[in-house]
Order: sequence, then C-alpha cells, then structure tokens
Amino acid sequence: MPRRTRYRLFLFSLALIFLSAASLRSEADLHRVWAVKDARIITLSGPPIEKGNLVIRDGLIEAAGANIPIPKDAEVIDGSKLTVYPGLMDALGQSLLKFPEEKLDMARIRAGDFTDKDRGITPGLAAFEYVNLGKAVFEKYHKLGFVAGHVMPDRGVFTGRSAFFCFSDPDRNKALLLKDICLGIGFTPSNFMVYPNSLMGVHSYLKQALSDAVYFDQARSRWLKEPKGQTRPEFNPNLEALADYATARKPVIFLCRNQHDIRRSLGLAAEYKLSYFVADLGGEAFEAIPELKKAGARVLCTVAFKPPGSSLYAQRGRAERERAEKEIYPKNPARLAEAGIPFAFSSLGTDDPKAFVEGIQKAIEAGLDRDKAVEALTKTPAAFFGLDRALGTIEPGKIANAVLVEGELLAKETKVRYAFVDGTRFEIKEAKPGEGEKPTVNVTGKWELAIEGQMGMNLTVEFSQEEAALSGKLISPFGAFDFTGGTVSGKDIAFEISISVAGQDFDLFFSASVEGERMRGSVVQGGAGTAEFTAKRIPG
Amino acid sequence: MKPKITAMAISVALLVLCLSDRLPAAEKAVLLKNGQIITVNSGTVSGGDILIQGTRITKVGKNIPPPAGAEVIDLNGRWVMPGIIDSHSHIALEGDVNEMGDLITAEVDCKDVINPQDINIFYALTGGVTSVHTMHGSANPIGGRGIVLKMRWGKSSAELVFEGAPLTSKWALGENPKQSNDMGMGRARYPKTRMGVEEAIRDEFEKARDYKRKWADYEEKARAAKQSQGKIAPPLPPKKDYRLEGIADILSGKLWVRCHAYQSEEMLSILRLCREYGVKLVCFEHGLEGYRITNELVKYGVAVSTFADFWAYKWEAYNTMPQAAALCANRGVLVALNSDDPERMRHLFNDAAKTVRFGGVTEDEAIKMLTINPAKIMGVDSRVGTVEAGKDADLAVFSRHPLDPFTVCEMTMVDGTVYFDRAKYLEERKKAEEEEKTKKEPEKKNGGEI
Repeated sequence: MPRRTRYRLFLFSLALIFLSAASLRSEADLHRVWAVKDARIITLSGPPIEKGNLVIRDGLIEAAGANIPIPKDAEVIDGSKLTVYPGLMDALGQSLLKFPEEKLDMARIRAGDFTDKDRGITPGLAAFEYVNLGKAVFEKYHKLGFVAGHVMPDRGVFTGRSAFFCFSDPDRNKALLLKDICLGIGFTPSNFMVYPNSLMGVHSYLKQALSDAVYFDQARSRWLKEPKGQTRPEFNPNLEALADYATARKPVIFLCRNQHDIRRSLGLAAEYKLSYFVADLGGEAFEAIPELKKAGARVLCTVAFKPPGSSLYAQRGRAERERAEKEIYPKNPARLAEAGIPFAFSSLGTDDPKAFVEGIQKAIEAGLDRDKAVEALTKTPAAFFGLDRALGTIEPGKIANAVLVEGELLAKETKVRYAFVDGTRFEIKEAKPGEGEKPTVNVTGKWELAIEGQMGMNLTVEFSQEEAALSGKLISPFGAFDFTGGTVSGKDIAFEISISVAGQDFDLFFSASVEGERMRGSVVQGGAGTAEFTAKRIPG
Repeated sequence: MKPKITAMAISVALLVLCLSDRLPAAEKAVLLKNGQIITVNSGTVSGGDILIQGTRITKVGKNIPPPAGAEVIDLNGRWVMPGIIDSHSHIALEGDVNEMGDLITAEVDCKDVINPQDINIFYALTGGVTSVHTMHGSANPIGGRGIVLKMRWGKSSAELVFEGAPLTSKWALGENPKQSNDMGMGRARYPKTRMGVEEAIRDEFEKARDYKRKWADYEEKARAAKQSQGKIAPPLPPKKDYRLEGIADILSGKLWVRCHAYQSEEMLSILRLCREYGVKLVCFEHGLEGYRITNELVKYGVAVSTFADFWAYKWEAYNTMPQAAALCANRGVLVALNSDDPERMRHLFNDAAKTVRFGGVTEDEAIKMLTINPAKIMGVDSRVGTVEAGKDADLAVFSRHPLDPFTVCEMTMVDGTVYFDRAKYLEERKKAEEEEKTKKEPEKKNGGEI
C-alpha cells in the first residue's frame, strides 16, 4: 500500500471515529420538548381524544388530553389535521440482525468435527450483539408507523436470545429497551450428520436439553448454597444459557412452521412447564384454535399467508395452494381475534416492513377489525414482553413513542407525517418529486467515488441495477463490502453499506443524484455526520 | 395429465370436507349384506352378512335381519376381508424417518412427528389398508420408537393412534447401521462391521442397567434421608437420560423390538443377545434369509415381516427367493407381508397372491399374511385381523377375490366408518372436474368480451 494511501486510511478511520462520537450532540439533544396541538389522539388507554394536545419532554410523554396547556419551551406542531397513535411495534422480527458471513470449512465437516453452531444449538447467541440499526433502516420503518421492534435470531434449534429496541438511535446501547427477553426454539434440524438431524430427533433433543438445563440449574444452586459435602456440578455454558428459560423465569418463543409444530410446542410447554409464545410462522394457528385456547397460549402472528409444505393445500397442486393463499390463510388473524386468542403481529416471513404492513392490510381485508390490528401492534406486544408500563399507549410517563398520521392508521391511503421515538422527532419526508418514479438512469457498472472534506478519499463502487432495485459492492482500502436494498427513482439513487474499519462497524448511507456519467450526493454515517461526494463512471 | 391430477386433488379435498358428514352416530348400526366374507379365522362365508354396531362387528353370518334404523349396504356378492394391516411402513411421519446424527437414538419417537395430513393415509385406504405400523428408519443399531396407526383419514395425530397397541423399538443390523453404502458426506461413525453393530447394542444395554442401578441407589438414599428426619441431607437425584430410559424400556419388555435384518448369521447372533438380556424381540424386518433359520425363529417366537418378491437391491439382500415367505410359513414362522413403501402399500393383496403363485401357500394362508399375522406381530390381534363378532369393524371390500390379479378395492371401513368408497370418490371427482370446467369457461368469455 503506498504511503499516501495509508495516511489517508488513517485519517479516514480517525474521522469516522470522531464523527461517531459527535452523535452525542445530534438533533435529538437540541429539541427535547414538543407539543402536538389540536390533534385527534388515539391513546388506547382510554377513549379517543377528539381534539387535544400531546406534550413530550425529555423522551417521555408529559401529558396528553383535551385541555392540556402548551409549555412555553415546547416546539409546537400543528396537529389539527393529524391523528396521534401509539407508535407501532413489530412483536418479532429478524431482519435487523446482521451476522458476519462465515465460510463453511468443508474439511472440518467431512471429518465430522461439528460445532454446536452446526447443530443449531446457540442459546447464548444474543440479538443485542448483532443488531444493525441505522438511519436508513429507521426511515424505512418510521414512514410506515413503526417505532420499535423485538428481534431474535431464528435459525436452528435453540436459535438465540431476543432484544427489544426503539428505532431511535443507531447506538444500540441507547436504542435498547430490554435484552435477552426470550429464547427462540425452532424445529429445523441441521443438514449435517450430527445429532439432531431429523424433526423427531429435534423433538427428543429439546426434551433432553430442557430437562438437563433444569437439572443443571438445581444442582448448581444447591452447590452454591451448601458446597460442603457436595461435588460441584460440571459447568456447561449452553445449559447455563438455557437455565432461565427452561425454568420459566423467562419465556421461550416456539418458531412453528406449521400447525403440527404448534401442537408439538404446546405439548413441550405443558410437559416442561415453560412460559412461552407461539410464533405462527406457517400461519396455521387457525387450525389449532381449540388447543391454543385450552392452553391459554399467546401467539405471534405472521402475515406472509403461504400454506406450509405439510398442508394439504400445498400437497394438492398449484391451484389449491393459490386458493388457500388468497382465501384461507389471510383469515388467520381474524380467526384468532374471533376466538379471543391474544396475538401480536410478527414480521417473520415478511422481512421488508412494507410487505409486513401490506400483510396486515390483507388480514384487515380478510375480516380483522382495524382496531384489533392496531392493538396487536401496540398494546399487545408491549404487554407480551413486559413493557406495558413503558410503552404501547399514549399515557403520561410512558416513553414518547407516537406516530402522527393523516387518515386512519394502517389504511392504504394513510400518510405518516411524524414519528416520535424516545421523544425524538423524525419528520417523514414528503415524497420528493422523483421519488417512486420509474428510474430514468441506469448506474450499472463501476464508479469512482471521491469523498470530499476531512475524510476525503477515493473509493470504487460497482453498481448492479435492476429497474428500481440497486445492489453492488464498495471496494475500499479496508476491504470490499456488498450491499443490497438500494433504490433508484427518477435520477436519484440511495443505498446503505455497512462497513467495518479497525474492528468497528459503521453504516454509511449514500444518496446521490445522477447526471449522465457523473453523480453528486452525500454520505451519512449513522446519525453522526455528513460528507459530500462526487462520482464518475469508470468507462468500460 | 395435469387437469386429471388437479381434479383428483380436488376430489380428495372434497372427501376430506365431506368426512365429517359421513361419520355415523356413536352406536349407529350398519349391515353389510350378501358378500363373500373372508373371515380369516373360520373360512369364507358365501352370501354372508356382517352387522356392525358402533365401531365393532357384532355378528357375522347369513340372513342377519337389519336392526331398526340400520344402514344397509348391499355388497352384491363382492368380497370382504379384514382391513389390510401393514406391519412395516414409514408413512404419516413429518420430517426424516431416520435420526442419523447418533449411533443409538432410542429416545426419538415417531409419535412426536405424526403427520395426519400425509396424503399417503388416503392412498393406503384406496388399497384396503386400515392399520399400519409406522416406524423409524434403519440407520441405527437402536433407532427410535415406532407406533401403530389406524387410517382414520381426516382425524388429528392423536386420533390416528391405535389405542392400546404396544409401542415398538426399531433396531437395525447390517449394512445400513454400519453405513456401508454411505458414499457421501458424513463422519466415519462407529461401527463399521456387523460385530460392531451388535457390540453397540450390548454397550447400550450395560449403560441402561447402570443407569437403572443409579436410580435405585438414589431412591434408597432418598428413603433413608426421609426417615432420618433431617439428619441426612436428601441426595441429588441422577440426571434424567431419555435415551437410556428408552433402552431400559426395551430391557423391561415394555417396548417390542422390531429388528431390521437380512442375513441369517446376524439374525442368529442377535437372537442370542436378546435371549441373554431377556429382550422381547418380536419380529425381523425384511428377514430375507429367515427361511434358512426357521427352527430358531420358531423356537424363539420371532416373526418375519417381509416382501413377496423384492430383493437383490444390495449385497446383503441377495440370498432370497419368492418362495421365502412360504418356506417360513410352512415351517411355522409367523409371516407378514409388508410394504415399506407408500406405493406398494396400495396393492399388498397382489403381493399376497404372489406367495400363492410362487410359494404354493393356500389362499387363506396368504390372506393371513396381510391380516391376522401382522396383527399378532403388532400386538393388536384381539382387536383386528379377522372378521368376527367383537372385533373392530375394519373391513376392505373388493370387486373380486382379493388375490385375483384384476381385483379392485372398492370400499374401506375403519371402526365401522366408510373412509373410502371408490364409486362415490369417482363421482365426486367427476363433479369436481365439471365444476372446474364451468368455473374456467365464463372467465374465458369475459376475457374475450373485454
């Protein structure tokens, strides 16, 4: 590496680290008092307030009601055309998690040298460590009314532990509400020649592991209480990680691929006296209503509405499957509501928030009451995960998570204008002229990017554009980083890249306007700082 | 071809939907009239009747008057036999039937993965099959537990289970557990020889005995602690081990052992091991060379569940012939003809006919290999396997004698309920096909107009 480049690299990493420190004095800290005036307020803690004020101070709701005075130090938002709702929450998702890519060592696999991870046994895997929060992510959620979400790894048998975040700050320490709330239990065996590698093996493995974890917990606490005269039990990190969940001090979430998994889960939960949720990934809870009702189960309802492969509809050819997809499965949430089974909505299976909302709208069209849907995205998830005193309704003292919308929430034509998250205001940008337009440029190919200012340096980006979807690769002195999920609308492009420099991860949000073979735009690092850049296409 | 499949699929759907309407009330009576009844235990009754009350057969004979309110089904001289019982099958299970990850997997249980929506349950009914023993595969010296199901299509997992049927443990000897044919990925797992397979089983028996001893010790100490009134601290119980408990259930005879084996030497060897430990070995699965050791099989009371004419698919399956089942039966071995396959399951009656043709057994003996013999192997012979008063009304009606090559299964009953009626099924399929047509045509028209 030439000396000059190395110096630049040093400056760049310094700049990034400096900028991330600068996030401490972001907009959030400058305006901490807000008043929404004359708005319709759906509190969900009482009847709707037809015309009232909402006061937010230092991250919390200070007051909400019809005759609430506007504090002198508040910045006022005219709410006369707006309705205030508690901010929406995703009761269970995984799309915010980003795990480092690992190459499978085939020599190790062939030698039969398997790890717990190969077996899908990762009870210690914490969502908190792998969450990927950032401005671009927040924007996607805020504009649909989502202000918080519960995330959990969803692969394997003991999939990992969940965490609940407000979508307020890219710093996960600030955004976190609760960590290690639930442990995921899946029924998907590993593909390797290692136990358990069949569904029946998984079921038996789960029984043994739950039994072992309770035993470990008892033996250990027994020894800690009276070490004299007792051999101490052998330590086991997996059993330690399982202990809280196996003893029902904390709940598990069963990731159910179909109705049979649901029944299996209810059986396991009863046998091992677990505190639990049923995540209905297959959307077949309606097939097990009597059993769910009898067990008093709480359901995390997905909205992909695809019949699982085990269902008769899927075994009977395309026509039957499509009919079920259209007519039967979308009724699942409505049928749960009708049966009085408590449920909240989960984005598993509809990882893009837009698809998630469309799924919920489909459920409403299929007969689910809209108020019930709102409840399943606010009060219910808060109550499920022990956050009902902090979130879920518009009440003084609660975290200021609220959305201000034109129209009725979850209706197709509704526009979210503002999202308050942890008391920070996020203004949802008006659709820019050009946004949502058909792309008028194609940026596919290699571009040279020159970032200006203090952290000035040159980078290469390889774009791959398919209609409005943009993906590609950033080639930098720190390595190459792939990205997907970018957009092109009109002549504007936007994309987000997560890079890792000197052991630290940074999210870079690029947006630019393209003119022929050149583009000009800005790059934002988290909520921290912005730099301008220009780029030109590398011919050939 | 395609529309046919769709139509068939739709009619299966209809069948499922209609099932609830067809269930007879609890003690409803059904009289099957004028059939050729193959009773299995007392010959064939020509022009006979079967009276069913509730789920059981209450009378078999001639000119039975129908009780008031009974549904009368005229068989018009068609053949009736006990529902076919398939003693070796892997249907109605979700996920893989082998837990290959470990050598011994006595803790896994087919009961945990019953899939009541497996379409093969319906297909079984179309071939007159009313009960199956569905089981773990043959990858492990000691595999998982198997279970006996009734083909109550449309019912839940729990309702499919044949109440009171003994649970089984699947063992396997030879090439599969020693992974002789595993050319792909996977670790070089012990054992790699037949000797090793047997030793793996013996090892596990010893472990289970130790485990049981530990619990007995603990219980004794716990009792002493209780009697000491606080002077002795209560002991820590041993750790629960589901695998060893499964093995202990084998040793105590609670689980009936069904052992996959081909070669006579290894069958003899495992017989000695089972005798030593007092294991209830009820049946060799496949047992292709069983005809060579009939005296020993009879002496130990071990049955053979086999194929009529399926062999030579691997080295250890070479030394047999289509006469094998007959040879065993003639020497007094209890023989069942099984499917091991959802397709073969639909025409097991053809397989029984082959044993008559090649092995020269009587027709009655061949029918037994599909009915009372497997029922005995599965421990359900007091409930099914013959047409007689007191038994479950599990029946299969055929257009001709079930061993006639041109016979067709026309109706199948389980617990006195018709779960498959070919005529009705075809009618419904035709109707569904027509509906599909009329549904599509107007769409086309509209498309044209717009």
